Amino acid sequence: MEFSRHTGVLGSLARALSVLCLALTLGFAFSLALAPTSAEALTTDKATARPNEDGGSGVIGGMDTRLTWEGTVEAGEEVSSITLALPEGATFDGSTTRITVLDGLTRIDVSGTAQSNGDSVTVTFDEPIGASSLVRLEITGMQFPSEGGDYSVSGTYVNADGEQTLDNSPAITVIANTPLQSIVNWLDEQEWVSAWNSNSFLGMFLKPQLLVTSFASLVPGWLLCLGIVVIAYPFALALGLLFAMLKISRHRLLRAIAVVYINILRGTPLFLQIYIMFFGLPMLGININNNLLGVIVMAVNSSAYLAEIFRAGIQSIPVGQYEAASSLGMNHVQTMFSIIIPQTVRRVIPTITSDFITSYKDTSLLSSVGVMELMMYAKNLTTVTGNITPYMAAAIFYLIVTLPLIKVVGTVEANIARSERGGGPRPKRRVASAVESTEDAPEASADGGHGEPFESGSGDVLKTLSAPFRPSTETPGGVADVR
Amino acid sequence: MCARKSHETKIEVPATLDAENAARIALAADKDLTYHGFAEGEHPIVRIEHLNKSFDQTKVLRDINLDVWPGEVVVVLGPSGSGKSTMLRCINLLETPTAGHILIDDQEITGKSNADANRLRRDVGMVFQSFNLFPHLTAKQNVMIGQTKVLKKSKAEAEAEAQRQLEAVGLADRADFKPPQLSGGQQQRVAIARAVAMHPAVLLFDEPTSALDPELVRGVLDVMRDLAKNSGMTMIVVTHEMGFAREVADRVVFMEDGVVVEQGKPDHVFDHPQNPRTAEFLGSIG
Repeated sequence: MEFSRHTGVLGSLARALSVLCLALTLGFAFSLALAPTSAEALTTDKATARPNEDGGSGVIGGMDTRLTWEGTVEAGEEVSSITLALPEGATFDGSTTRITVLDGLTRIDVSGTAQSNGDSVTVTFDEPIGASSLVRLEITGMQFPSEGGDYSVSGTYVNADGEQTLDNSPAITVIANTPLQSIVNWLDEQEWVSAWNSNSFLGMFLKPQLLVTSFASLVPGWLLCLGIVVIAYPFALALGLLFAMLKISRHRLLRAIAVVYINILRGTPLFLQIYIMFFGLPMLGININNNLLGVIVMAVNSSAYLAEIFRAGIQSIPVGQYEAASSLGMNHVQTMFSIIIPQTVRRVIPTITSDFITSYKDTSLLSSVGVMELMMYAKNLTTVTGNITPYMAAAIFYLIVTLPLIKVVGTVEANIARSERGGGPRPKRRVASAVESTEDAPEASADGGHGEPFESGSGDVLKTLSAPFRPSTETPGGVADVR
Repeated sequence: MCARKSHETKIEVPATLDAENAARIALAADKDLTYHGFAEGEHPIVRIEHLNKSFDQTKVLRDINLDVWPGEVVVVLGPSGSGKSTMLRCINLLETPTAGHILIDDQEITGKSNADANRLRRDVGMVFQSFNLFPHLTAKQNVMIGQTKVLKKSKAEAEAEAQRQLEAVGLADRADFKPPQLSGGQQQRVAIARAVAMHPAVLLFDEPTSALDPELVRGVLDVMRDLAKNSGMTMIVVTHEMGFAREVADRVVFMEDGVVVEQGKPDHVFDHPQNPRTAEFLGSIG
């Protein structure tokens, strides 16, 4: 008191300070003491669902998946029962639950019972689980709602103080169950599918469920393939015609340029060209979109083959055509564009179609440098599923395009061959080359000669079938011969 | 090109004569050799002076001199390899003469740039042994294309002309057929229509019936005869058709080894050949 009296203002300041200190200390102690009791005894660490999409990483609703839930029992707490719940339409029916409890890194044997009931599953432990344990519940055979959406796992647990509410887990994104999935589900239930898949070859190469899902998954890759080749090809045609003209030009330098361009591109593998472009350009600091670069590589590569096809086509036009044009007074440009190129185009259509088929198939090489085309998708699917079926699906995607084109090649060749024979029926067992003869084609219908589809039969079919599978240097019709 | 030229021995030929002088000399030389009826002050439509042509070191034409008058029909005879076709092709500049002069309507066509050659070549039509129709075009389009592309006629004009010319060769009903659908004889007649439609000053025929089956020859010869008799077309015809030569030609020229051996009115040459080589050839042909 005396002290305070003596000190006056100073004493009151000291008192205020000490009160503040006390309050702070008390508050800190209070918060320390109260924190464990007011927080959760069991905290949700994570909840994940195992991807059940064939070859994908998504979780599909309405299909069996495995839910993994992990939570930590806090210090000084015990948990005797956990109930996990999913909202609206998720089912735990028929599920089995595996319980793992870890204390640090050691696994603790815990016995308990799991009861699934509609959209919830309750795990009751025989002995309450002690503090700091990590609890992992793996519930197999559960299903998310088939409409899909973001779902979090909620639930309750029971500790010494009775039933408590569990934190919501981070959301699990569930893909809606598509008609495709329904087909897969339906297939899963079919006996013949099981029988089919039990054959190791059929199951590995042509698993029906995987075939169905692969088809859907491969579509973007297929479209990219088609996109690349369809965009690249007009440029390839233009470049090819240009280099064909250069190669038959009268100027030695232009000829030399064309020869170097054509020979280098035809003399090295497309695979190598792809590597050079995709790895070389970035090293120069030139970064081009992968798909665009794919288009460029394919266009440049094709243009060399097309140049040879055009060159051979132009040179297959008899010299009499040039002479006839000259004797009418046509200049070189008129002769080329009115007389020679129109005839060339007719002659090279089958060969160019074959080259297009080759180019389309060769886009698969772009998968090696990360272009997300058909082959890449198939490879990823196969890696995920460990099954060859996605490759088979990819094969079908390639064939969807190539088979009709092969048919076109055959038909056009047959038409040209027939018309070059003056429209009469063709002798059996002799396949007339589209290019050897010196005359060209009127419309096939002019003579009404559509009547012998089988006469032009087996030889042609074999030829056209094999044609696109030969290297481009041996395209049918003999146009694109290597000189 | 350059390398090839170095092989050739340089042939010196005198400069071309001026038109008046040349016409006078030609008239004097030709007036007894042809049934052509000369008009006052007429100039030859084709003048060939000292024409030489070599392929590498083979001399194919040696110093050919020939004048062809407007409306005259000249038939060139001779064994294979005598240079008949080469001479025709030189007149059309399909072959470049090694030396000498060729004048069409008193205009020199040799030694010109490509563009000039194309312009001059319009005046010279050519009918080929192998027809050389454009197979991607119909008969009518074949006849039209030169008119529209080269003469820059309108499509309608060219079409009317094509129809007229196809009618003249008796193929109006085949106007929309493409060459492979026509017989050889029909194709050759279309080719004639194509050449005539350009209204050339002179029409060259390079063995027009040699590639035809015998039964188709007559149709083509009929067209050519009609052309010679009725339209007054100047024609130089290389052929082996002796009947045609005798009947239609104003003059027959016999060539051998790149040289004009003998020329004259057809009945004179056929009935009284002066040169033993001519006699031998005519005898062998029968």
